[in-house]
Amino acid sequence: MQELLQHLANALLLGSTYALLGIGLTLIFGIMRVVNFTHGELYSFGAYAVFFLEAALGVNFFVAIVVAVIAGCLLGALIEFALLRPIQGADIDTTMLVMIGAWIFMQNSELLYWGGVAKSIKTPFPEAPLQLGLISVSWLRIFVLVVGSVLIVATYFFIDHTKLGKAIRATFQDHDTAALMGINIKGIYTATFALGSGLAAAAGALLGPVFLVTPTMGDIASLKAFAIVILGGLGNITGATIGGFILAFVEELGAGYVSSGYRDAMGFVIIIVILLFKPTGLFTRADRIG
Amino acid sequence: MLELRDLVSGYGKAMVVKGLSIDVGRGQLVSLIGANGAGKTTTLKAISGLIPIKSGKVIFDGQDITNASARKILSLGVAHCPEGRHVFPYMTVTENLEMGCYLRNDRKAIADDMSRIFEQFPRLAERRQQVAGTLSGGEQQMLAIGRALMSRPKLIMFDEPSLGLAPNIVEHTFDIISNIRDQGTTVLMVEQNALAALEMCDHAYLIESGALTLAGSGRELVDNPHVRAAYLAD
Repeated sequence: MQELLQHLANALLLGSTYALLGIGLTLIFGIMRVVNFTHGELYSFGAYAVFFLEAALGVNFFVAIVVAVIAGCLLGALIEFALLRPIQGADIDTTMLVMIGAWIFMQNSELLYWGGVAKSIKTPFPEAPLQLGLISVSWLRIFVLVVGSVLIVATYFFIDHTKLGKAIRATFQDHDTAALMGINIKGIYTATFALGSGLAAAAGALLGPVFLVTPTMGDIASLKAFAIVILGGLGNITGATIGGFILAFVEELGAGYVSSGYRDAMGFVIIIVILLFKPTGLFTRADRIG
Repeated sequence: MLELRDLVSGYGKAMVVKGLSIDVGRGQLVSLIGANGAGKTTTLKAISGLIPIKSGKVIFDGQDITNASARKILSLGVAHCPEGRHVFPYMTVTENLEMGCYLRNDRKAIADDMSRIFEQFPRLAERRQQVAGTLSGGEQQMLAIGRALMSRPKLIMFDEPSLGLAPNIVEHTFDIISNIRDQGTTVLMVEQNALAALEMCDHAYLIESGALTLAGSGRELVDNPHVRAAYLAD
């Protein structure tokens, strides 16, 4: 019983960052129909940015996270502007190849600059975990859950209630008609890519201190993000949120009760099962953002 | 107010509109009639900046708007109410209307305009928090018209406003469009329902295979033997 509770608590703490990863990817796919292979690299960028700001520049941990997220948004905007905008309207193969190229380039840049040795990020939280009845959780993980949840809620608010968020939804629902409303579609693409990238960077900035930072950390994050998005249905933000938590629970329980070596395999087991039985994703309410 | 000069436009390499010249005078209701595939919708899309213009010119209010962005054209005062209504299906009625005034920032006037639209279309007022995809066809058409009006256009273009609507709703829709003209907004309407379109307009053009074949008052076109035979089915 105690073990189960502990696994559930761990999963809950992990789930919020997985949800961020999934929301970011599903937004970009939903609006732009771009399969974003750089998503995982934005995740590792977020982690490296925190590491770099803290270790090399001596920036405060919390400030470093905020700066990393903003830098992630800007990097996403740059990728969209420099790589995707010039090939807008090209077929999906071209877009995919460009994104795969960007992914390889980004990962190798990290390897070149920081080397292949894993880095760890120092945090201001006490080492001793917080004891809550039968379970114990680290302060860092509680921080991750709180910030992750706040970002999820903020993203919902942004999409549902701000003018830009509404324009993003309108563009998703009807591209040409959105243009007739005077919405700058190219600008929406850049904003969406920046937002999705910022969410990936946030997930990396939050999980980097929990695990270790390595140049290849983005690969598995990317695969997990795809698993979450397939689970929740492409373009479905609520699906991605719930999918993120489901993946975290399955991984945590799989690692706990099957074998910890199979932790990362659990996501793919889910994808296979979902694709076999409900290929449109668990939460498909037609095709929607929101 | 709006002049097309030798407009050529289409999709990819296929040109659908092949040298069309028409004039829409200020305050007029002008109907563009023709068969399916004659290039009516393409013409409207080219005017509003949704598809590129290969050659020719579009002049609005003395300003050349050929190949300007859809955003720029709307901001100059041309609204386009597209074929098939195209409301945003997962957004509420209110949000759809908000999208209509996306380029405006005058909060107070926007609120006034919105309450005027709700006054004019009480069905929409009752459903203001309902998502547009759940409205009936007629309600969606009212919403699409209201949304186009929210930009406070000088010229409003309707593409097949009667398409797929019940007969009593069709009549109501045409009344609304006549009303819009009567209140001083210029209207350019594309319509398959040729008889209604000709009866209500100030001026009409017949296009066939992407080119102009007839122009005149609605009455003149109704009396024209070719129009009678091909479009009025008598």
